[in-house]
Amino acid sequence: MMEQWLESTPSWSNIALFFGLGALLLAVVLAFVTYGILAERKVMGFMQGRIGPNQVGGRFGLLQTVADVLKLLLKEDTIPKAADRPLYVLAPIIAFTPSFMVLAVLPFTDSFRFADIGVGLLYYIAVSGLTTIGVVAGGWASNNKYALLGGMRAAAQMISYEIPLVMSALGVVLLAGSMNLVDIVAAQKDVWFIFAQPLAFLIFLIAAVAELNRTPFDLPEAESELVAGFHVEYSGFRWAFFMLAEYVYLFAMAALVTILFLGGWHPVAFLGWIPGAVWFALKFCAVVFVLIWFRATFPRVRADQLMEFAWKVLLPLSLVNIVLTAVVKAWFF
Amino acid sequence: MSGTDIAFFLLALAAIAGGVTMLQLTNVVHMVIALVMTFVGIAGLYVLLSAEFVAVVQVLIYSGAITIIMLFAIMLTRHHTDERERPTTGGVWHKAVAALSVIAFGLAVYFGIRQLDFGADGSALSGDNAKAIGKSLYSYYTIPFEIVSVILLVALIGAIVLAKKDGKGAEDE
Repeated sequence: MMEQWLESTPSWSNIALFFGLGALLLAVVLAFVTYGILAERKVMGFMQGRIGPNQVGGRFGLLQTVADVLKLLLKEDTIPKAADRPLYVLAPIIAFTPSFMVLAVLPFTDSFRFADIGVGLLYYIAVSGLTTIGVVAGGWASNNKYALLGGMRAAAQMISYEIPLVMSALGVVLLAGSMNLVDIVAAQKDVWFIFAQPLAFLIFLIAAVAELNRTPFDLPEAESELVAGFHVEYSGFRWAFFMLAEYVYLFAMAALVTILFLGGWHPVAFLGWIPGAVWFALKFCAVVFVLIWFRATFPRVRADQLMEFAWKVLLPLSLVNIVLTAVVKAWFF
Repeated sequence: MSGTDIAFFLLALAAIAGGVTMLQLTNVVHMVIALVMTFVGIAGLYVLLSAEFVAVVQVLIYSGAITIIMLFAIMLTRHHTDERERPTTGGVWHKAVAALSVIAFGLAVYFGIRQLDFGADGSALSGDNAKAIGKSLYSYYTIPFEIVSVILLVALIGAIVLAKKDGKGAEDE
């Protein structure tokens, strides 16, 4: 159905339609962020022997995040006197906008997808890199040494881990013969790439956690050494925008892992009667759970370990993976 | 006026506005952010020309990597920000000559590209950009491609040698 809309001739009703669909996706993502944060707090509470939010919105704290967001929106908006005002205001916007733009190329099911472009995977990587500029600009504009350090760390980390991320995804691209995410999912009809590319999956998952700035790679926001990282000086809804960008990337990255390695909307062998959307949601939730699990169980790495790990372990491994994949593809396919 | 024209004018305006803003600003970090606007506008223009691959690479390399490296270089180097408005140097004659040459250059470019023929329309390549580029690169331009990779490698090793020497000198001091 959406395919027909995408290929129909442009008109005002089309514009309204796409605007509506975009707004719908934004609503879905915001709902995910709301309950993703709650799930994270609940799961981490469970793993640490606590209860987690249980006051606002019934026994399970269902309205806790809503209350938190409301508080953030009502908070006084402070801008430090010595801050670089225009850049300080602009930075959260630069950081958030790309996080929503990358969602355009992710195919959620066979029929629910937006842009179908030939270089979908590369588009995701390229556009998500723009967020780094927002983070660095925010850290610099705050005129605070902790914020600046956090911003620098974020930039160094995101650039370093982007390389193993792309290199490991190249194995998948080699097997699927396309960078189009729809084609990549279609190529996993029989075998999911997690089985064909186990090494690439591991590297991709580790690099993804680092790209998301989550524990054990949360150096840009290390509370114990940098107070709060690049957003020390931010408060209220500007701070909320940085957090929102982070959780929208969590959504996007979990969806990307599902698409690249877990077969997207394809069902498990004989359970084909369950619709693709449910399968996608299940795999997606599993990935999000794993990411929360990482956060609750791993200690933070040191800054020097972080860089060494990216350049001396992940990058060579992903190069080996590319060579192996090429050899296997040339001999057996 | 079709949607493509509107998109073209908006993107071209964004690219030019970014460039002009960059020249007008006095703070180096602000300049870099304005430059990003130009890069992204140009990437949008590539998409209009059905060159998605080039557009994405433009965003990846220029807006992503190069901008971050420039920001790093700016922040890591000590620079005395003397942001006082400095009067432009040169008298009336200098300015007049500069203005005239700018106009002459603009006219030359305009007449140069007015009747330029770029050959066949590239929209047929849309969608399979990467494949088409790869095929022609490895079919017709293999040797230049390899030579470029060797040159890049030489530059890389040169950078390492320079950085190493610097470190040793610092140790000796």
